[in-house]
Amino acid sequence: MSRVTVDGTPVEVAPGATILEAAEAADRWVPTVCFDERQAPFGACRVCMVSVAGSPKPVPACTTPCRDGMEIRTEEATARRVSRAVVELVLSELPEPPAPHTELAQVAARLGVSGSRWSGAVHAREDDLRHPYLTLRHELCISCGRCVRACDEVQGAFALTATGRGFDANITAGLDAGFEDSTCVSCGACADTCPTDAISEVGLVAQLERS
Amino acid sequence: MSRNLVELIRRHHAVDAPTALELLKEAIEDHGELTDADRRHAAEVSGLPEAAVYGVSTFYDDLLAPRGRRHVRVCTGTACFVAAGERPVEELGAGLGGLAPGERSADGSVSLAETVCLGFCHSSPAVRVDDEVDAGPGAIERAIAGESRPAAEPAWSSLLPEPVLTRPGEWAGLRRALTELGRERLLSEVEAAEVRGRGGAGFPAGVKWSFVAKAAGSEKFVVANGDEGDPGSYIDKYLMEQTPEKLLEGMALAGFAVGAGHGFVLCRSEYPASKPALERAAARAREAGLLGAGILGSDFDFDVTIIEGAGSYVVGEETALLACVEGLRGTVSARPPFPAERGVYGMPTVVNNVETLSNIPFVAARGADAYRALSPDTETAGSKLVCFNERFARPSVYEVPFGMTVRELCEDVAGGLRDGARIKAVQIGGPLGGILPASLLDTRFDFDPLAAVGCMVGHGSILAFDESADMRDVARHLLRFGADESCGKCFPCRIGLRRAYEEFAADAPVQRGRLEELLEALELGSLCAHGGGIPAPLRSLLTHFPDELGLR
Repeated sequence: MSRVTVDGTPVEVAPGATILEAAEAADRWVPTVCFDERQAPFGACRVCMVSVAGSPKPVPACTTPCRDGMEIRTEEATARRVSRAVVELVLSELPEPPAPHTELAQVAARLGVSGSRWSGAVHAREDDLRHPYLTLRHELCISCGRCVRACDEVQGAFALTATGRGFDANITAGLDAGFEDSTCVSCGACADTCPTDAISEVGLVAQLERS
Repeated sequence: MSRNLVELIRRHHAVDAPTALELLKEAIEDHGELTDADRRHAAEVSGLPEAAVYGVSTFYDDLLAPRGRRHVRVCTGTACFVAAGERPVEELGAGLGGLAPGERSADGSVSLAETVCLGFCHSSPAVRVDDEVDAGPGAIERAIAGESRPAAEPAWSSLLPEPVLTRPGEWAGLRRALTELGRERLLSEVEAAEVRGRGGAGFPAGVKWSFVAKAAGSEKFVVANGDEGDPGSYIDKYLMEQTPEKLLEGMALAGFAVGAGHGFVLCRSEYPASKPALERAAARAREAGLLGAGILGSDFDFDVTIIEGAGSYVVGEETALLACVEGLRGTVSARPPFPAERGVYGMPTVVNNVETLSNIPFVAARGADAYRALSPDTETAGSKLVCFNERFARPSVYEVPFGMTVRELCEDVAGGLRDGARIKAVQIGGPLGGILPASLLDTRFDFDPLAAVGCMVGHGSILAFDESADMRDVARHLLRFGADESCGKCFPCRIGLRRAYEEFAADAPVQRGRLEELLEALELGSLCAHGGGIPAPLRSLLTHFPDELGLR
């Protein structure tokens, strides 16, 4: 076991536990976007930055293992500034603000980021409505990788992939011909984990409207 | 990196299946563009799921641009930018019948693409037609006329009393290690020699090796990082093409020290001569009993596979490099786990840069003390290869001791700038390195003195801007490179470099306060040294040339 403190609260965590797990044990909130407790930590969003005494730079809580004696601060000014700056960047890549019920909108609100000062390119609108139960709105994808990992690690269907690179990175199913022409089993794990509704389940009413 | 996909790849590798990336490269080289049939075939043969193959096919530059019967690639690296600005792309596009980069003519006769960088920084601008690189004055016109010819590469030389890196390999280090030193003494010599990594990070090779030697694994691997993507650098190119046997010897020594039986060299597709040179050297070594089973009559087995990348700068980062070796998208993974623990196929792996490994044969043959004495004026051990861009009077690769001043390197070694031009600033060590203004040229070329002025040794390239250079254009050029090459994994780099580029590309003042907040988020938040490093030259420009950046 490692003994660490999170914002002054001492907690004991299992060997190999991450800072994020220690924060949860201490009941302290750390903002996350690409993290899903059902999946291996990914370390992509860089929103979970926290400070550790003696470390010159903030560290990502989801991929940094605890060391015995670590003093962790979840709201240190520099770390929090980086978290907010990243969320502001994410909001700037979407052509519309995220819906209030989405995880991204809730994290942004809790961090006090109400919009973005950045303008510039946004993701082009491209909505894949071919599947009866799943909708893929590419313009809302923030490349957090949660859907791809859900399909790989949780369902084992390997129907999804990241595509492109840099700002144009996105996701797709199979050979980009829609969910139905892929190994998708319509389990909905991707829609369940998506923090922006880029992949969402088509509700019953919408299904009726479509048919 | 997906553990499930890595396990799938390991099982297919065990039965000698090619990777998805190799199959996709073969397909585009065969018929000029990728089809879904190619992707399905690659999935079936490599064992990778179709979706994952699709992801690979949309990641690498070489798989994206359609190819005509004549495929023209124009270098947009920093040396070519300094020499000719945006002209090479514009003139080639117009001369080839109005092609934009990424386009192929309607009759399929010719296609145009951008590439960064061809490693002919000594004689920019550089143009590659199929597998031949032409460079220097007239190269653009010759490419348009279909009269390209291979450019000459200047001979390298050493300032050391006895050259180490610029002389051919002799395999004396491996002979001594196998017959006299043994594994443990070899490892302790490399640790004592304090060989710092030459690829940018400067991490001690001996420490890395000791982690892998101690790591548990049924198999271990050595990977030589030959993805010298830094525009302006052509050092590893010379090492891979002119003394490839020294690199192979260094890899065999690493394998012997840590208990690995196989190595991979990942060389760049932008250097078409590297893979053939390495394969010829490996074949000669096998014939001489220096690679293969029971090397030199010992019980040590070691062999190598030469792999070519497909056009991605970030693949030079070690976790992305491993993904590329496995034929996956070349994206960065969070560490830990480090490659020393989970590398190729999830096994403990040494990842060293080409120049780092090329230093090892000397350490093995002559010992740590002799190696440490190569740079007598500083604590830093060994020698360093540096290279210069076309602005200089004598641009080439030179072996130098650490501790000379940058001015001595620029003026005495490379002969100052051509045609009496004066240095405005130099960028050292690639696009992630700081920019040193002429007023600081007396800084010593060494890890700590360069770090003190916001610069780094990096890969060792020294790229001069003369007094005609517009520093806002330089900032825009570097940020375009940064944004284009971002792997897209971490958010600060993926979005932030695009925003920073847009700031400098717009015909409007750059908001300094917001820019500095963005640089901080990149420096502190990025997953790897790409997003974390691009701010360094921007910081230099903000410090030394604020009036030229159009700030408000």
